[in-house]
Amino acid sequence: MAITAPVTAAEIEQTITREQVSLWADAWRRLRRNRLALAAFVYLALLALVAIVAIFYTPYPMAHQGVAVPYSSISSSHLLGADAQGRDILSRLMIGAQISLIVGVGTQVVVLAVGLPLGLLAGYYRGWFDSVLSFLINVFYGIPNLLVALILVVLIGRSSLGVIIFAIAITGWMDMARLVRGQTLSLREREFVEAARSTGARPSKIIFKHILPNALGPVIVQATFGVPQAILFEAFLSFLGLGVPPPAPSWGSMASDGIAAMRISPHIVLAPAIALSLTLMAFNFLGDGLRDALDPRQKR
Amino acid sequence: MSQPILQVKDLKTQFFTDDGVVQAVDGVSFDLHPGETLGIVGESGCGKSVTALSILRLVQEPGRIVNGQILFRGNDLVSMPEDDVRDIRGKDIAMIFQDPLSSLNPVLRVGFQISEAIGAHERISSGAASERAVKLLKQVRIPAAETRVRDYPHQFSGGMRQRAMIAMALANNPAILIADEPTTALDVTVQAQILELLRDLNEDLKTAIILITHNMGVVAGLCSRVIVMYAGRIVEEGPVERIFKNPQHPYTWSLLQSMPRVDSDRSKRLLSIEGLPPDLIAPPRGCRFHPRCQFKIQRCMTDDPPLMEVGPDQEAACWVTMGRALKKNGTQDA
Repeated sequence: MAITAPVTAAEIEQTITREQVSLWADAWRRLRRNRLALAAFVYLALLALVAIVAIFYTPYPMAHQGVAVPYSSISSSHLLGADAQGRDILSRLMIGAQISLIVGVGTQVVVLAVGLPLGLLAGYYRGWFDSVLSFLINVFYGIPNLLVALILVVLIGRSSLGVIIFAIAITGWMDMARLVRGQTLSLREREFVEAARSTGARPSKIIFKHILPNALGPVIVQATFGVPQAILFEAFLSFLGLGVPPPAPSWGSMASDGIAAMRISPHIVLAPAIALSLTLMAFNFLGDGLRDALDPRQKR
Repeated sequence: MSQPILQVKDLKTQFFTDDGVVQAVDGVSFDLHPGETLGIVGESGCGKSVTALSILRLVQEPGRIVNGQILFRGNDLVSMPEDDVRDIRGKDIAMIFQDPLSSLNPVLRVGFQISEAIGAHERISSGAASERAVKLLKQVRIPAAETRVRDYPHQFSGGMRQRAMIAMALANNPAILIADEPTTALDVTVQAQILELLRDLNEDLKTAIILITHNMGVVAGLCSRVIVMYAGRIVEEGPVERIFKNPQHPYTWSLLQSMPRVDSDRSKRLLSIEGLPPDLIAPPRGCRFHPRCQFKIQRCMTDDPPLMEVGPDQEAACWVTMGRALKKNGTQDA
């Protein structure tokens, strides 16, 4: 039998110290292993890049009519062809990406800004505030979101990005508030919250340092799934002519414009439709991937 | 003897549930002196943890302290405004819990959590706080503390987590440390280490310790005085050697008889206490232990025994007491 050499202090030190992996680094590692989610992430990063580039550069000014022959198909000078007014579709698609992302992300920012604090407060303090909030949410749940948004846009009369974000967020925050409230209700009973309380931590510390970080996983997933919903919503409103005012090219209004000539020039509908589908799919795959990656029960 | 640092007087904590009022702690009184180590023993549900939580005013709805005083350095914690109690929590009276894994926040680094405990009571830069965190981890004998402060709780072993909890509790050099079943979730070897650590801290820092446990052996290893609780009441109290050598309440006696001992006759079966602890919504009349007591007399079923002196510095709440009961039965032990 081989005699093992005495272990030196340095060696012990080495085995004791190892890479410090935070939970977020761990989640990122798991996300990267999910091919579909990674592809979705890359696609969305590219889309964001395109949207940013479009601020400074588009092949043609997106509102200029007659830069190409109306209805002209794909060519080297107009990579995605032109629409009924002879506007360059690629340029309009790029600006459309901007609008979609602003609406999608902007809505979720509003949803988080409203739903997160309300959910945390209701879940932590319970009492009358929780009762009122839950009652409100339950009442609004009975009304279809789409209807609320439509009525709002019609009521306000003038549509703009801000109005659309507001119209979608006014119903969207409730899901978020409800999720966060549920998370908070269960987290506040956890022993580490009691332990924090026993060290004299203030309620604000407990809520934001102890409860919120533990609730963040599901919140991120929910917000990721909320983005494509908002994008679809905006496209739908624009398709009905209630979205961003022309000539701003929303993917929804571009598809709507092309519908009339769909038989002869399908590319006018197809370009925004494909862009929209890919984007929605990408967000959903990313959301799925995040859900798996952030699920603490899946320790691999 | 010195002035007690903590005096609990006729504490009653009740839980107002849909089924009725649970009298979890029912008239508990005791003193704790500076630097003392006091054990509170009893079965699950006897009110020992609720007593501990009551001291820090951490009892949650539907529980409420309905009566009594808890005097810390002469100030009543029961009637104190919440803000003032918060200043005492963690600073003057700290607590460690049973399950060290669930008591640490899984998404925050251990060092950060200790720094937070320091920062709750003094203005301190994050750099200075994390230096203190390293010192505290060293004090509780975590190896390679400098790198370990940056670990997450899941990277710690069970014993190390409990050490980290103790480090957090010691962060502000409290006068009293309440340890609620600190070793229950740990391996036996680790249990011994944690107890040794607590003993050393008691000796070096003169921190008074209230140790809550169901394990008589743990009490013997650490405490100088012991309180035995049953069904929300104190049934016996006294110095640890006297309680172990000469228990006077039948419940204490049964607890000790139910404990395996190396030096006892192996052929003898361990005693088990028949029956279950009583329903605290409607506790039995008379002595609360009488339905399970093998020495009971008529009086036990009607009259509630108060704590009475049964020996030097030793009190028991029993009409019979073991001294007499065993003489009558002619049993040899005790």
